[in-house]
Amino acid sequence: MTTREEFLSRIRAEMLKTGGLFPASPAPRPSDPRAVAETLRRQLAEHWPGALERFRREFERVGGVLYRAASLEDVPRVVAGIAREREARRLVAWHPSALGGDLGPALAARGLEPLAMPPGEVGDAHERGRLRQAIADAEIGLTGVDLAIAETGTLVLRSGPGRPRSTSLLPPYHVAVFDRTALIESLSQVGVLLELWHRDELETAAVISFITGPSRTADIELTLTRGVHGPKEVHAIFVEREIRG
Amino acid sequence: MSEGDLSVPFRRRAGSAMKDAQLQEALTIATTKFIGLRREAFEEFPDGETLRDQAREIKEATLQSLDRYLEQLIDNIERRGGRVHYATTPEEARAVVLDIARRTGARMAVKSKSMASEEIHLNEALEAAGVTPVETDLGEYIIQLAHERPSHIIAPAIHKTKEQVADLFAKELKREVAADPEVLTRIARVELREKFLTADLGITGANFAVADTGTVVLVTNEGNGRMVTALPRVHVAVMGVEKIVPSMTDLMVFLAILAKSATGQKFSVYTTLVQGPRRAGELEGPEEFHLVLLDNGRIRQLAGPLRESLSCLRCGACLNVCPVYRQIGGHAYGYTYPGPIGILLTAMLNGPESVKDLAHASSLCGACVDACPVRIDIPRMLIELRREVDEKKIAPWTERVVFRALATLLLSRHLYRWSGPIARLLQRPFARAGVIRHLPFFFGDWTRTRDLPAVAPRTFRERWDGMERGS
Repeated sequence: MTTREEFLSRIRAEMLKTGGLFPASPAPRPSDPRAVAETLRRQLAEHWPGALERFRREFERVGGVLYRAASLEDVPRVVAGIAREREARRLVAWHPSALGGDLGPALAARGLEPLAMPPGEVGDAHERGRLRQAIADAEIGLTGVDLAIAETGTLVLRSGPGRPRSTSLLPPYHVAVFDRTALIESLSQVGVLLELWHRDELETAAVISFITGPSRTADIELTLTRGVHGPKEVHAIFVEREIRG
Repeated sequence: MSEGDLSVPFRRRAGSAMKDAQLQEALTIATTKFIGLRREAFEEFPDGETLRDQAREIKEATLQSLDRYLEQLIDNIERRGGRVHYATTPEEARAVVLDIARRTGARMAVKSKSMASEEIHLNEALEAAGVTPVETDLGEYIIQLAHERPSHIIAPAIHKTKEQVADLFAKELKREVAADPEVLTRIARVELREKFLTADLGITGANFAVADTGTVVLVTNEGNGRMVTALPRVHVAVMGVEKIVPSMTDLMVFLAILAKSATGQKFSVYTTLVQGPRRAGELEGPEEFHLVLLDNGRIRQLAGPLRESLSCLRCGACLNVCPVYRQIGGHAYGYTYPGPIGILLTAMLNGPESVKDLAHASSLCGACVDACPVRIDIPRMLIELRREVDEKKIAPWTERVVFRALATLLLSRHLYRWSGPIARLLQRPFARAGVIRHLPFFFGDWTRTRDLPAVAPRTFRERWDGMERGS
């Protein structure tokens, strides 16, 4: 087997033989991503309605549906409406600490069967299997959002305690809840935040998922088909009053 | 088409592709649609051209410090509890994956589309070792059921009609279904959902890896990349060493142009940043994360003539615009990577011998350079390959002798002056109405598929001399 040293020294030996094709440098990185992020946040505190409008336009272009709710308490009403039209009942949700509040009782009162994910890992393999089955059987996955990118209509979700990856993946309907603090204008601004998250090791995650509309394929005769493996519908609820988790 | 078909010469492979009416129709529809979607995506993206230049520069900058970035990547992945493996050859890469499968007692592996795993023929090796590989990208799933190979980098089953897919599902899955993409996709969803939930091993490629953060990036539309990295207990990513980028800032430059070039989408549906195995406090995610760094001819090209092709993003844009690919499709090329960039990658992986015919399967029109998101100068390298094939005497001797003679002729004023009258004499038995349709002996190779214009009764030079005298 090739070792790390053998592998790298072969690369170095080849690199010594050439000066490259032309002078080149990587993209200039923000020297202080925290300061840049802070500036972006201040700017968006004023410009967020424009960013939200752009997000809506792009999100709808990729097949998403955007709703508005006055506050987190108003979210179960919107979710129940989505569920009713699709005759869906079983719902799995991020843990209340990750979602920003416990919507379970209100959802149950509206006829849904909500199941909140545990706040941390589950040691018992049998219980883990049961939870996975519950997520796989659910019709709706209710999650939060870390970033909503206006340029592309993309939702960014970090995995972590209380926010299992498959809640936004296995159920056919994904419903994501966000407020204006998640809004961001462009992909290049996302780059700044990703740099920042990685400086703060605590804020980074095992998986960061960018989700741009429902799962799709065009592998048979280039005919667009939705919901091949992931959700066939993605709904986003914008909450006017800031969610405090 | 299996590798065995390489026993048939390229000319015949291309010929039968051109006689296949269904394939011709599928190719025209697909490539034309891809071209239009790509054009629209860039038309409404004013930053596109600048970002393409920047992406090109980032790739070159990365290669100039490749050792340093790789060390950074490796350290960051290991720090998070992932493991990195090094494979010089396809055999070594297969052995690494098989070893992981054996050690973890894996019985079934779900795979998201990965050209790197195609390149090392991983599926056959897994099967032989008693591990069932299941391709989960719909296109790859279809061609796995059909025991074929991908015919396009991003749309592997582009050559199949919906009727053919319905017949295939009927035969392989024992399901009688309508030839409707919607229905067929739903069947695949059900079949594959169960595999995702029960597989032990998730195998992926990698579109990018970020050195600064130790992140492996997967881009898919279907969500299978997320499935195979969330559900099985072990995740193995196989990646060519050139896929690395320095930072998250660099990554965003590539993500901004990749989908636009590949499918004409502004952004692919799922971009998944994987940063090691499951962390403390997480309900799910793999217990083990492995990255296999693959050489397979790439490292040699750092200082070789094909260096620029190490910048390739595998978006497939050059295939769609290539007049040759549009005529013959992916299988006729005979190797893992088809199309203009595929010829270069084939030479990189398999040596110049493998492309002695393919190096000529290009009109050098340059459409590929215009379409390439990082502006790889493919025609320049194809010409270099042709030179190499000639210099190493891999090309047939007839070809070498004829072109050498032509070179001598074109470089000598006197020889050139006399070539006109001599050619007029020699062509007499073959020229009809100013055109030569068939040449004798081995020259016939030239006129097999094209006509040769006959030498004019008076050459330009002869007429010019006449005019000078007349004035």
